[in-house]
Parts: sequence; structure tokens; C-alpha cells
Amino acid sequence: MVTTIDPENRPFVSEASVSVEIETEGMTLNIGPQHPSTHGVLRLVAKVEGEQIFNVEPVLGYMHRGYEKLAEVRTYPQVTTLVNRIDWVSGFANEIPFMAATEELMEIEVPQRALYIRLILTEMARICSHFVFNGAYPLEIGALTPLFYAMEDRERVLDLIESVTGGRFHPNFNRIGGIKPAAGAGPTTKKDIQDLPIGFYKETQLAMEKILAAADKFEDLVGGNEVFRARTKGVGVLPYDIASSYGVSGPILRASGVKFDLRSTTDYLPYKDLDFEIPIGENGDCYDRWYVRLQEIRESAKLVLQAIDAIPTGPLQTKVPKVIKVPKGEAYVRAENPKGEMGYYVISEGGLGPYRLKIRTASFSNISVLPWILEGVLIPDLLAIMGSFDFVLGDVDR
Amino acid sequence: MNDKMIQPETDSFFDEIANNFTNVSNDYRTIKISIKSSDWVSTITKLKDEHGLIFFSWLSAVDWTNEVVTGEPPKDKVEECFEILCCLSDIEYGNLVIVSTKIDKKNPTIDSLVDVYVGANWHERESYEMFGIIFEGHPDLKKLYLPDHFEGFPLLKSYELLSREVKPWPGEVDVEAMPDDESENKEQRKEE
Amino acid sequence: MSFGLELLLKVGVVAAIAPAMALGLTILEIKGSAYMQRRPGPLHVGLRGFIFPIAEVLKFFQKEDIIPAQADRSVFKWAPAYIFVSVFGLFVIIPASPTLVVRDLELGVFYLLAISSLSTIGVLTAGWSSANKFSMIGGLRAAAQLIAYELPLILSVIGVVIQAETMSLVGIVEAQKEWGVPFVLAGQLIAFLVFMTAATAEMMRVPFDMPIGESELVSGFLTEYSGIRFLLFYISEYINLFVMCAIASTIFLGGYHIPFLPLDWVNFYGPLVLIGKTFFLGFILILIRWSFPRFREDQLQSIAWKILVPVSLANIFVTSIMKVVF
Repeated sequence: MVTTIDPENRPFVSEASVSVEIETEGMTLNIGPQHPSTHGVLRLVAKVEGEQIFNVEPVLGYMHRGYEKLAEVRTYPQVTTLVNRIDWVSGFANEIPFMAATEELMEIEVPQRALYIRLILTEMARICSHFVFNGAYPLEIGALTPLFYAMEDRERVLDLIESVTGGRFHPNFNRIGGIKPAAGAGPTTKKDIQDLPIGFYKETQLAMEKILAAADKFEDLVGGNEVFRARTKGVGVLPYDIASSYGVSGPILRASGVKFDLRSTTDYLPYKDLDFEIPIGENGDCYDRWYVRLQEIRESAKLVLQAIDAIPTGPLQTKVPKVIKVPKGEAYVRAENPKGEMGYYVISEGGLGPYRLKIRTASFSNISVLPWILEGVLIPDLLAIMGSFDFVLGDVDR
Repeated sequence: MNDKMIQPETDSFFDEIANNFTNVSNDYRTIKISIKSSDWVSTITKLKDEHGLIFFSWLSAVDWTNEVVTGEPPKDKVEECFEILCCLSDIEYGNLVIVSTKIDKKNPTIDSLVDVYVGANWHERESYEMFGIIFEGHPDLKKLYLPDHFEGFPLLKSYELLSREVKPWPGEVDVEAMPDDESENKEQRKEE
Repeated sequence: MSFGLELLLKVGVVAAIAPAMALGLTILEIKGSAYMQRRPGPLHVGLRGFIFPIAEVLKFFQKEDIIPAQADRSVFKWAPAYIFVSVFGLFVIIPASPTLVVRDLELGVFYLLAISSLSTIGVLTAGWSSANKFSMIGGLRAAAQLIAYELPLILSVIGVVIQAETMSLVGIVEAQKEWGVPFVLAGQLIAFLVFMTAATAEMMRVPFDMPIGESELVSGFLTEYSGIRFLLFYISEYINLFVMCAIASTIFLGGYHIPFLPLDWVNFYGPLVLIGKTFFLGFILILIRWSFPRFREDQLQSIAWKILVPVSLANIFVTSIMKVVF
């Protein structure tokens, strides 16, 4: 029996076709507070599809210590101790803007010798901070060796800082009106002013020359590496107008092509008498941010070499009363922290401590750009970009 | 002298600001403009567009009260309010301006600056969680630093620090004298 | 000797040598990397730290066996076994001398490449069954990478096979003996480089260690493994390193053969020569590991597909033309 198919009454044949697009759901990945690469306890909640990131939301506050509230119950000299610990990698540089603000309100003039020593220690803190970056950033990209070389070179500078101030990371060396008598040659119970230790000049010179050689070595070892260049060139480009509306400052802004350095626009430290260049980048990608910081190490070493030749003689601290009461007023002073722009807005009501201290930290504003810059990148690029921002959680969370 | 040094043009900049706005002060080398809270967004937009202050530095608030639980009260009697401060700068010469406005404590609201500067987002969230100030027009006003179920606004002067509950504020203390001589030290030790 | 006794003897020898070689390479890596990084490495454990790997193995034995609550238990337990088996399976064909070989298969090279791709299953199942998002990402990256780099591995060896006219490894070494120079100098230099690159990627070492990605994924697909299970992964990684270097030195560098030594004593000096060449190649890979950052996986894939595969195909083409012409 032959069955013919009537074209009018064909059996039902489904008209579905195989759809090539399979619906997938993204994954929420918690690059959690505990992670080898987040420089501390930063939490990123990332919506990821495959390896590509759609949306990143940073969750802060794991390191929040409430500095602004604490500062309201401290006297002015006590706030210095607190303030050291905001950006714990560059200890000395955190104190400078606060000192400058208080001295501005009290209208006292700091002696030149103290200013030069402050400058030397600030630049050394900058070298230390940038060496930590130079060691830790290749580590996140996967190169495991530069960390050890960077730490070794950093130890030289930390030894110098320790010989002057007695502390490596939190020197707490500034006093209102100048600096503390140094941990120099002899017991501090003597009435004579203790000054820089014996041999400081020679050792600083040697150390800075080795730092300059180390910077060249890093430029070859890390910067000349093909894989490093492939991972960082063209990754995470940040244009300067977006950077400035977010408040991104410091080496990141300079890598985006803006020639702006607070060391040359403020006069709380004697940078005007010394000669230095401001390195800038061209494209604003991760490689430029790394390279700007490497150049800054060189500039800082040259600054220290110039400054130790030019320290004038004189007292270390102006005469201030034993119990410091700052007259009523408000002042904002900002300075160039290794991470960016750090400023203190001191509102004083004539008391023993500030009525309100607003701390403007560099890394807080630097990180606010992350949701914008991390859209659509792959996970390894997320780490390369985050590492190139060089933030510290103490700076972010205060 | 380094010829690459940028000379800050603060004097001419102060004149420029003083000519265009009222209530401008330059105490302690900090230019501060005081405005009404209704002009907040328009003044800041004007500063951004016309005076080149495209760098958003920070935004925060001050709690002016006469009865304080932490720290010391203000010297003279102040009018109780919140003072909102916004700091702007430019990226060529280092000119800096602080804009300040006062809002009522019982109804602390003000317009949000997120449309003018994108970076104001996190600063406003922080001011919200620390002081309780509501920013109208903010896309996502929620806590930034504090845990989700935290109650209270920590930076208010009426909020007590836990450590001060345990040990009250010592007030005015004389600083401890440094041991003057080594011999004095030895005598003290012999006594002990 | 009866077949059973011989089999037992060979299995015993392999079971003794393989971990010993792995420990030797571990010492080389730990001390070598330490000196490259200007630090002494382990100093106090044994004789100046050289007994450290044994101490480490014993440490792993006494650890608690932790399996995550949401992990797929049986798959989780079997994953290290795949890798272990595939690595040990490669010992069958490595010749330490013309007679000191477990079994000289005529399909030596074919068997080699077939067995070495079993480890992909192990890595993928380890990543998937761990119930950890980071491990899963590591496992998926590993699957993509291992599949991609098998092709250059195979293709680069085919050039040698064409030149030696045999697939058995002993035959390849004898061919090099006849030629007088190892194949790496006899026109297979490019194939050698391709093979070493692909082998580094197959072993998931830096610069190709995206699946492990230490600074990103904590340990990639290995994150949830601890104790003896981790030891299995760890040892099989170093045995894999030894085996791949041994195969590279057999195929390209001449294996157990050195031109000027008398052939009667080859059963004595053959193993030593092979081990020497293997450790030399292993040292080069260790140097590379500690000097380079790691590639991103799209760069990884583009290296495999856009550079290595065309180069090895060109190598086959040129080799076959030379073979016909000369």
C-alpha cells in the first residue's frame, strides 16, 4: 500500500530550528577580602561571564579605624602618631601636611634645617613606597623574582631612616615647629640638641647611588621583559579628564599625561631650591604607571643627593609652648604623598586638639575609578590594573 | 631654580575668585567661598566650567554644635548646623578653592554633585553614613565604610566614642617632663 | 626470567626511580630559585637544606584529609589519580640504554602523546568538583590550555620521526647515533624550541601557569586539595617535568648516547647520561620559570594557535622536502 502525503494535511512538523545562542548566566565572583593580590582587605564583588567582567563593585570598610573621630579626642602632638599609620608603606610622608597645616594656623616659621631634613626623609619614604610597588606589581603579574631584589634595595633606605629617626615604618619624627632631635650620636638625655647621626652623609650618598643603579636594573629586568610588556601595554587606559573628575592624583594622573606635581606648586618644603623633573606618561596604561613610578625613584634619589649637600645649619625646632593650643581658624594643606595627593583640613577652635580633622587620602579617590575602568576586562587584567594603581588599604579606609 | 617649576598663580587667582563671588576669604592661604545651600550645584558648576577647576578633591561635612560628647566644645557659641565643604582644584597651577555651605540640622538635605563631578559619589556616601546628610539625586546612597546594620551616625558630636566611655577625656594635662640628667635617673632608680 | 618476575622488577625500578628523580628536581628548583633570588633557601632542615624535600613529603603525610562539604566526593578523590597514572605511564617508553627500557614500543611517540593527554581530564575534574568558583575558573583555563598546546607538541615531534624513519624511541636514539649529531643540531632546532614551549605549557609552569595563577586564583584548580591529595599533584608535577625533559633529551639531544664513549659499557653510563641531559633541560626550565611573568590566557591561546602550530607545520614541510631531496 502506497501512502501518499497530502500536501494539505501534512502531519505536523515542528518549525523550530536549533538556536545557536545558548543562554548563559553570569557568575558573581567575590574577589574577597582575603586574596593574595588585593593589597590588603579590599573586597570586589565582580559579575563575571566566563572570564570577562561586567560589573565590579568595591566593598570598603574592612580596615576602617575611624581616624577622623579619633583625632577629635587627641591633642595636636598626639595626632601625629595617629597620622603616621594612614599610609603605612610611606610612614614619614603622612605627617608633613598635618604639620604644615598646624604650623600655618599657629603662624610659626619652621627653621630651614628642619625643612631640609623633612624633605630628605619624605623623599626616602617615597623611594621606599615605590620599591614596594616595584616588587609587588610584577608579583601579581606572575614574575616571582623582582620582589626580592626590590626588598633588598628598600632595606638600604629603611636602614637610613632608622638611623635618623629610630623607626622604620612609623617614625613619628615630626614635632610642631620642626623635627624631633634625631637619634644621633649619644643619649637623648643630654641637653645638647642631637642631630643627624655620624656618617649619615657618606652612607646616604652610597645608598642613593646604589638606588640609582637598582632603578636601571629594574628597568632592564622588568621593563624589558616581553611578557611584562604584553601584559601591561594598552591595558587599563585612563584618560585625564575622567581621572580628574574622579579625583585621581599622583603618579596615576601623571601617567595619563598631566604634568602636575604638588611638590612644585606648594612651598611647605624647600623644593624650589632643588632641581628635579616631573616624569609623565603618554598613554595612561599600566605600563606608563609603572614607568612613571620608576622614574620617580630616580628623581627622589637625585633630590636626596642634592639636599644632603645643601642642608643649612641652624636649630631643629622653633620655640613652641609646652602645651600647644592652636588659635581658632581653618586651614587646608596638601602635599605629594607617594600614592597621590594627601591633604588635611584642620578646623581649630582654640582647644588642645582639632575640632574637626578631615583627612583627604590619595587611595580613596584613586580606587573610586575602579568600577569605570574595569568594565569589560578579563580577570587577569583586573589584577594588572589594580596592581598598577598602587593603593594601600589604610589609605582607602582611614 | 628649576625652570620646569610651575609658579602658582595664587594672587591673581584670588582676585579672579573674589571678583566673581561674594563671601570669599583667604585665611591661612586657603581660599574659601561661603554660599547658600540653594546655589550649591550652580556655583560649583560655574567654578568647574569657567575657572578651570576640574579636579574634584574631596567633599565632607562639619557638625557645629555647642554641646559635645567627644572632644571640646567650640570656643564661642556657634549656630548649630551642618557645614558642607567641597574642595576643588585645577591640574595646571595648583589653585585650590573650598566651597562651603550651611544646612539645617533638623532637615539635612542638599543636592548631589554626582552630575557635575562623577567622583563625588563615594564622598557623598561617606558623608551620608557619618553624618546623616541626605543627598538628593544621588544614584545609590548607601553605606560605604560601616557594616550594614550599624546604627547611628558616628561623626556627629553627639556620638560617643566607646573608648571614652571607659576612660574619660583627661582635659588639659601638662606634658611629662623629660628626665633632665642621668644622675637624676640613677637617684630615682636607687630609691626604687 | 619469567614474564611476571621481569614485570615486577621493572615496576619496582620505575616506582623507585620516579619519586627519586622528582625529589632531585625539587631540590634543584628550591635551591636554584633561592640563589637566583639572593636568598639561601631552606638551610636548617638537612645538610644545608638538601634533605628538605623529604621533610616536606613527610609533612604532607601527617596532614588532615579535608574534603569540602559541597564537593563532589568521588570525582574529587579520583582527580589526582588521572594525572598520576598518565605521568607514570610515560615511563614505559623512556630508554636509559638500548636494553634498559621497560618496553620499547614501536609506536613509542604515538603512545607518548596519547598518554600525556590523559592529564587534561584530571585537571578539569579537579577544578570542577572542588565547589569553588576560583577552582572552576582554573580548571576551565587548564582545559583550554592543555588542549591547545597538544597540537604543537605532536607536530614538532613528527619532524624528528620523519628524519629518523621510526617512531620507537630507541630507534630515534640509534638514528642519532648513525647521524653522529643529535637532532637538535641536525636541522630540528626550531622543532626543539617548539617542543620545549609546548611542554612548558603542558606542565602548566610559568610563563604558562594561568590555571594555577598563584596571585589570582590562590592555587587555581588545586586550591581545595590538601595533605596527601596535594602531594599527589605536587609529585606528579615534578615527575612530569622529569619525563618531559627526558623525552626531549631522548628525541632531540641524543638520549643515552654520547659519541666518544665505548659502546660495551652503555648499560652503565646510559642512565647517567640521560639523567644529566634531563637535569640540564630541567634547569633551563626552572630558570625560565623564575624570570618571566605569566601570560594572559588569550595571549596564551594566540601563541599556540597563531605561532606554534604554523611554525611546526612549516617544520614538517621543510623536513619532508629535505628528506626526499637528500
